[in-house]
Amino acid sequence: METSKFNKITALWIVVVLVLFIASIVLGIIMRLNQSEVISLYPTTFYTDMTVHGLTMIGIWFVAGMAAINYIMERYVKTSFYANLTALILTVFGVVLLWVSAFVGDFHAGWTFLHPLPLKLMWEKWATPMFLTSMAILGIGWLIWSLSLTASLLKKYSFSQVFAWQHLTKDPKTETPPFVLISMVTLVGIITCLIVAVVLIVLLFAEYFSRGTFVNDALLMKNLTYFFGHTIANEMLYLGLAIIYELFSEISGKPKWKTTWYVALAWNFTMVFILTAFFHHLYMDFVQPEGFQIIGQLASYFASLPAAGVTVFSIIIAVYKTKIKWSLANILFFVGVAGWVVGGLGAVIDATISNNFILHNTLWVPAHFHTYNAMGNVLFSLGFFYWFSKQFSGEEIKYKFSKLTIILLILGGAGFLAAFYFGGADSIPRRYSTYPVEFTTAKTLALIGATFASVYLIAILIFFANISKRCLNVIFSRS
Amino acid sequence: MQHTSILLLFLALAGAAILIFIYVFRTSKNANSDEGGMTNALRKRFWFILILFIVLGIFASVTIPKSPYFLFADEQPSRVVHIAAAQYYFLMSNEAIDPKNPGAGDTIEINTGELVEFRVTSLDVNHGFAIYGPNNDIVAQTQAMPGYVNRLRWKFTTPGTYNILCLEYCGNGHQLMKSTFTVK
Repeated sequence: METSKFNKITALWIVVVLVLFIASIVLGIIMRLNQSEVISLYPTTFYTDMTVHGLTMIGIWFVAGMAAINYIMERYVKTSFYANLTALILTVFGVVLLWVSAFVGDFHAGWTFLHPLPLKLMWEKWATPMFLTSMAILGIGWLIWSLSLTASLLKKYSFSQVFAWQHLTKDPKTETPPFVLISMVTLVGIITCLIVAVVLIVLLFAEYFSRGTFVNDALLMKNLTYFFGHTIANEMLYLGLAIIYELFSEISGKPKWKTTWYVALAWNFTMVFILTAFFHHLYMDFVQPEGFQIIGQLASYFASLPAAGVTVFSIIIAVYKTKIKWSLANILFFVGVAGWVVGGLGAVIDATISNNFILHNTLWVPAHFHTYNAMGNVLFSLGFFYWFSKQFSGEEIKYKFSKLTIILLILGGAGFLAAFYFGGADSIPRRYSTYPVEFTTAKTLALIGATFASVYLIAILIFFANISKRCLNVIFSRS
Repeated sequence: MQHTSILLLFLALAGAAILIFIYVFRTSKNANSDEGGMTNALRKRFWFILILFIVLGIFASVTIPKSPYFLFADEQPSRVVHIAAAQYYFLMSNEAIDPKNPGAGDTIEINTGELVEFRVTSLDVNHGFAIYGPNNDIVAQTQAMPGYVNRLRWKFTTPGTYNILCLEYCGNGHQLMKSTFTVK
């Protein structure tokens, strides 16, 4: 009965995520079409679209990772179904409020809702409190879920075991599975950044209701915003990696990956680096203490060491000259790791302060984060979705559809991202509804971006058509 | 110049990474069941991490001193330009700007080779202050934050008209924020 409930809720998460993903891709394509001047939107419409696109994408791929690790975690510990259900209900409720505040109330402060912009009321008066409420509901739902999963892990594993510290000794007596270690490391980051998000929203509400008697400090608010925003966007990627550590070998028909001393060390280092890398969002705020700026560059650089040296290298070892059972799921994982590496290279270049001086808030930024999301993390979750749905039908997606999906994903993704990278190197600003005439290549690049993003969308639609029926069968099955 | 090198560096690194992934995938496709995968994997992993550490260390030690906070830090600026950004315009002045009574601002002309300090703030929300050169590439930038003054020092080498654009999203007129100054 317990397993059946988790099957149903995971299937429901998958359907919700994919429906919202398709809608959000359409919003993204509309933005690129407007920038190419193929269509013409009012700036306000463009920016509400942009706000919804960014927040929905971050939200759905975060919950997709959480739903996946919750499902897999049931193999190791008993988790709370009700925490999962609460998160689902609050996520749907929060997203509805967010979409209403934006599409009905015209709220358009961007996904970072950087203080004091949300308080400027360039939209319906009720839209700001509704937007902040939607963020609070999402934050509380996810915090409950994360704390509940952490509590489940800590019931079985001691504090040092859950971080695999015994693997740093010569002769570890017990094994902490890599999945448990990575989930815990990621949950620490998630809980920390969600607590910061709650503080941020309380401060915004306090200023909103004070009627001018209380004004927040802009630099502090920016630090809090990016501590939350950067960390959650990164942690969702690490949720995807936890899935890979668990499922890649299993799907490939190989022995399970084990925690070794260097895996334990790498993930403990990752936990620290990931919480300090957010400083790179404030490089262009010269009043920020210089020490923080340098920590930002060093943390961003050295976060790539455990990632590349342990996780990426492990995938390479697992595949190199090794006969394995390839299916859509592990191909999506493998391509996703490649996408993550490419996005990481773009990110490290941008995390270099002297480069950021000319790349900050140009199209280079959406270029690199779309690479490790659309061609990395999304593929990790799609791999999980496919593996999950296949368990209940036993059938592979027809070979021609699998091949077509992968080809269209890679082709669409590469073209859509290339338009961003070339635009960034050409100093074209991000977040512009339309471009000044001086940017002679901007419109063409936007059209190329929209065209290739449509190819990517077709791949997602094929994927959705193939797995949604299986998921709906699970949701509506009687057992 | 820096823009092109950044793009080329990225394309070269990304291309190499993609080729490695394709190669590794093909070795798996062509593998026989009795092949043993990578030999001496732990040693290779160690060398890979060490080389990556050294490369990143070199990159950090070369690039950090070039950060904008340290540019021309030992020199005295011969010119100060005050900038106040607001929805949706930039106010530029040779005199300090009073936020309560910002005034109309000045037309700004700068000489090539002189060290200019831009003192940049905002009168309302966060804005960006990005200087685009005559060929429309970003030359330098900082943020305009309410309650703070960011000091950006720069020496212009090429005469011409420079545009200033906002690079921090600030509302539905963000894309319209623009101002210019001349370098003689």
